[in-house]
Amino acid sequence: MILRGLATLLVLGLLGLNMMMPTAKISARGPENLVRTDIDTSLAIGQSLPELELVDLEGRLFTREDLLGHRVLLTFERSVDW
Amino acid sequence: MGSLGIAFFVLGVGMIASFFLYQRPDSIPLIPTGPVGHYFVAFTGCALIGWAGGLIGAARDPLSSRSVGTTTIFVLILMALIRMIAWLIGDYAGWLGDLSRTEATGLLVLALFLIWLKPTVAESRACAESAESEGATG
Repeated sequence: MILRGLATLLVLGLLGLNMMMPTAKISARGPENLVRTDIDTSLAIGQSLPELELVDLEGRLFTREDLLGHRVLLTFERSVDW
Repeated sequence: MGSLGIAFFVLGVGMIASFFLYQRPDSIPLIPTGPVGHYFVAFTGCALIGWAGGLIGAARDPLSSRSVGTTTIFVLILMALIRMIAWLIGDYAGWLGDLSRTEATGLLVLALFLIWLKPTVAESRACAESAESEGATG
């Protein structure tokens, strides 16, 4: 009976935690939401894109030169495609 | 436990079926994952069928299979914890939204049901003794 009570308390505690998670500080969506002031990311209109080397989802490397002469919309997102 | 076993059996068969359906050329996956994901989906399906067998057996003979219920409760809580942690990590929340939290709630409620539906040791002993005495007199 004691074990049953303890198990019930554990499950109820986890249920409460699960309900509270969206409003808890620990679950606040982290540093990706913060402005990184330590990195100079500002790019004014008319300014040249800095040198860059990026790998796309197919593993192909492309640089700034590959983008020249094209209209480009560059977006970044964290991938969960496993 | 028998109902849960039947549900796990159906889910396991469904997972194995989705693996085979995915192997057809140009198929649209039933579960949104790739070849590696489907490999693990099929593996999970097989494990679920095994688990279902244990649960159905325990429902038919609860006195000799008490540990199946305890293990099931433990694993349901563990699965809920993993879903909660996955939601906290953020990558999965971006993909699944609040689904993992909803699943965790369902699993915990199921665990709570099993905690209270599973016979206690005393109840099991009393049941076994009455069965023995019936056997002796009969």
